[in-house]
Amino acid sequence: MNYVLKASALALTLGLATTASPARADFWSDAGAKYKGVTLHGVTESTPPSNYIKNVLAPEFEKKTGIKVEIETTSWDQMYDKAIKDMEAKTGIYDMVYIEQDIIYSYLARDFLVDITKTLKDQPDLKAPTYDDSNFTSFADYFKDANGDLFGTPMEAFLKTYLYRKDLFDDPKIKEAFKKETGKDLKPATTHAEYTEIAEFFTKYGKDNGMELWGTTAQAHTGHPASWYEFFESIVPTFGVYNWGIDAKNNYAATVEHGGTMNGDKAKAALKYWLHLRDIAPPESTQSTWTETATTFAAGRVAQGLIYGENAAWIASDPAQSKVVGQVGFALPPLEPGVLDDAKAGKGYIGYYDGGAFGVPVTSKNKEASLLFLEFIGQNEVQPEWAIAAPRITNKATFDDPKVKEMDTKLGGFYTMLKDEGKLFAGAPPYPFHAQVREATAPIFYDILTGKIGADEGLDQMAAKAEEELTSLGYRK
Amino acid sequence: MKNQTPWLPVVLWTLISLATLFPIYWLFVISVKQPFDLFSTPDVILRSFFWKNYQDVLTNPTLRGYMLNSMIISSGNALLVTTLGFFACYALSRFDLAGKESIFFWTITNRMAPPAVFLLPLFLLLTQVYRIGDFSLADSRLGMILVYCSFNLPFAIWTLRPTVEGIPKELDEAAYMDGASPWTVLYDIVFPLARPGLAVTLILTWVFAWNEYLLAATLTNFNARTLTTGLSEYVTTTGTAWGIMAAISMLTLVPALIVFSVVQRHIVAGLTFGAVKG
Amino acid sequence: MHSQKLGWLLLSPTIIILGLFGIFPFIYVLWVSFHAWNPFAANPGMVFNWADNYRRLVFDAQFLASLGITLAFVFFAVVSELVLGYILAQALLKDFPGKAVFRTIHTLPLIMAPIIVGSVWKLMTTPSIGIIPYLLRNWFGYDLNIGQSAVAAFTVTVIMDIWHWTPLVTLSLIAALVSLPPDPFEQAQIDGAGKSQIFWHITLPLIRPALLATVFIRLMDALRTVDEVLMLTGGGPGSSTRYIGVHIFREVFPKTNYGYGSAISVIVLYLTIVVCWLLYVGLIAPRVKRG
Repeated sequence: MNYVLKASALALTLGLATTASPARADFWSDAGAKYKGVTLHGVTESTPPSNYIKNVLAPEFEKKTGIKVEIETTSWDQMYDKAIKDMEAKTGIYDMVYIEQDIIYSYLARDFLVDITKTLKDQPDLKAPTYDDSNFTSFADYFKDANGDLFGTPMEAFLKTYLYRKDLFDDPKIKEAFKKETGKDLKPATTHAEYTEIAEFFTKYGKDNGMELWGTTAQAHTGHPASWYEFFESIVPTFGVYNWGIDAKNNYAATVEHGGTMNGDKAKAALKYWLHLRDIAPPESTQSTWTETATTFAAGRVAQGLIYGENAAWIASDPAQSKVVGQVGFALPPLEPGVLDDAKAGKGYIGYYDGGAFGVPVTSKNKEASLLFLEFIGQNEVQPEWAIAAPRITNKATFDDPKVKEMDTKLGGFYTMLKDEGKLFAGAPPYPFHAQVREATAPIFYDILTGKIGADEGLDQMAAKAEEELTSLGYRK
Repeated sequence: MKNQTPWLPVVLWTLISLATLFPIYWLFVISVKQPFDLFSTPDVILRSFFWKNYQDVLTNPTLRGYMLNSMIISSGNALLVTTLGFFACYALSRFDLAGKESIFFWTITNRMAPPAVFLLPLFLLLTQVYRIGDFSLADSRLGMILVYCSFNLPFAIWTLRPTVEGIPKELDEAAYMDGASPWTVLYDIVFPLARPGLAVTLILTWVFAWNEYLLAATLTNFNARTLTTGLSEYVTTTGTAWGIMAAISMLTLVPALIVFSVVQRHIVAGLTFGAVKG
Repeated sequence: MHSQKLGWLLLSPTIIILGLFGIFPFIYVLWVSFHAWNPFAANPGMVFNWADNYRRLVFDAQFLASLGITLAFVFFAVVSELVLGYILAQALLKDFPGKAVFRTIHTLPLIMAPIIVGSVWKLMTTPSIGIIPYLLRNWFGYDLNIGQSAVAAFTVTVIMDIWHWTPLVTLSLIAALVSLPPDPFEQAQIDGAGKSQIFWHITLPLIRPALLATVFIRLMDALRTVDEVLMLTGGGPGSSTRYIGVHIFREVFPKTNYGYGSAISVIVLYLTIVVCWLLYVGLIAPRVKRG
């Protein structure tokens, strides 16, 4: 890993040196001259894309501008808590904060962040020639306010999508057995019925042949929100229930009685479908979050699964962590009829577009210097090496870079899918109460998972609880 | 008390040690397994060793910094609270102070509530109130040593009180009659007899400080980060780096064992209570 | 008899430090507990709402359930640790080969950070692929699934706590036992007292203060358990291991419900004080009466 970082740093330096004309190379040192000696403090999670910023981009930036950047890496819970405390108490500790896509709306509602677009317009000498808002993929839209102003520069973006084992799907013995049992050809599922059929087949095949093999993953942890997320972000949209079934335009109704869809027929069908998958998934699924499903897939224990993009990449390409390198195929998740058309028309979506950005709190004491750093990491030039070290793409131009294209083939077409189908996926709904409603309804969801409550009854209770929480928070009148 | 059957305790303790050590052995196993091996069927006996985790940890200067901070904060705090706790217990035991039972009970209430909500006021206090000019207690080792007193000092007082109370006041009287000053009494008479209790308090407060996570995570940013906060960095949304966390944990056993061995011999420092009879 | 001043002088650093880092924060929390405050509510500011939070708590089924299982957890864990710790402390008093090594090994679990303890037990007990379910299945045919069985999850948290904290009891009791005067014991042996009589009438009364202190510490800490359980089960399956520490953690962090969370903390603090006070009175008073 260190070797890769060192190689990236070297490549980055060379890349910047050759692509930058003398006039551009001066922008950074000129702009940075005003803030020489300043140290910027950022807080983020310790994931590969953030570590790349900390280990490669920050030192590069310091070399060019003389501005030091210190990135604090901490756990997911802590990162939110500390950023929020800092911005809430206005202590000005952080100049940059990581903004996960699902928290941006909470931050925007509280006016915590600096308006990047507006600031760059008001202070043109701050704007780098190699930076432009329009360079980003559609993912950047999630960090814009109603006027289209950007409040965070995307630094990682992934899709949670359908992975399957190409080697198992291409194996003649298995294909024959599948045909014999179902009368159909074995290929990646496009509907829920097909997916279930394939999953049941593989679980049975694994059992009959004494293999440690099951037909599907299930992120079904009975005490961690990961299960709640899989259901609401990845499963129900494929049945046509969007934004968790809460209708923001209808006084935030969640129950069917009040006009919501959280406990409607489609949601209930989705839950039945998913619970059945959980039943034929490997036993560790009851303790599985997004990382365990990834390691389960990487250990070769399942034939298919819904896996987050940031994990999909290493599952497909890193032999140190994965036993199924080169055997991973990507496809769109199975859908109910009509959902794909809705998504194409922009009325719905088929899955989760995950990711994060870096933003500047309004309480920062070094706003201008921080914006320079955000522009630096948002440039097209730094993206390809970044994408290779920590698989993620946030800029449109990166898709066409030859090295990235080469990696795409190794990844089985993951980047191509991100480029072509990214618009069918969506981030979290624009709710400032994201974490609050999740925490309020999750305990009931866990009870559904343990069988303490029935599925239908559980969803009814969850919808009622969501409305109760929304009322208590003051959003629902 | 000579033991007639010396092998019985050895057998018993071997069994107990196996039960104690199994999870630690498993921690070791996790630290030398390849990441994808963690989630396949387990085998108890290791076939191969993947030392990269240890290499990564040992060559990481940030982790070394965290370890140093943890050592300084834990040792500093343990010494501070054991000393202050000793003084406080002596005061509560030998002097007739107004409301001393209430004071005693009150100290321990500081340790009773779950810490989550106390983070916010402590955060505000350290960053905005407890400061001189540009220097605030936030993100400082001194700040952490003081903040940790909030749970360690009550513990020290409560654990030391039975020890100090158990030392007969008659010994003090005898010394005072011989013309000794209070500090001599404290240092020459009471302290040696309290050694086992002090040693245990030192070890346990050190351990509590060493393992503390929440306060350290919230109140430090760069300079005073400890090993436990370093560990939590590896718990991310893209996976928990179990191997590295396990390697770090195995390595932290080393300084802890050193501290233990230095202090432990004071626990059973053979006493005679023969100074004053009846 | 000695100047009171010296006494207060010795006590003052303690009072000052605890005042600065204990009292002030507590007063703040108490004040917040009388407000509705959630930074991501429609109204993000603090809104005074009298004792509304407390009133809600009385009817909060989730809170009450959490209290219930916490008390069960604390009872099983602390009693086991006390009994086991005492037996082991006595066993470590006699001399036998390798005693120092065994004592050191016994204290190792204490050195491990709670997140690590939770992590290693999680990896050991993950259904199907953890080493413990694997061995249990092969040796006894029993399927341990802490993701599905509330009883299994509860039991594992208790065992984990016993593994982690018994050494604390052992160490504290060793210090107490080692300080006991030999006279009463010699006298009792001369009088021909049996082992059990010696235990109940001599040992126990003499170590009562130390025992009490240890019970209190374990009681308080067990009530506040968070990190280990959070890593192991997240509070699941369902809410069966959502102990009060975990419950408060989730109210305050992801849910950012500062006002309500503060009220829960104040109530838990109050209840802990009540329980401890009852224990204190219950165990001290009889001794004073016997005098």
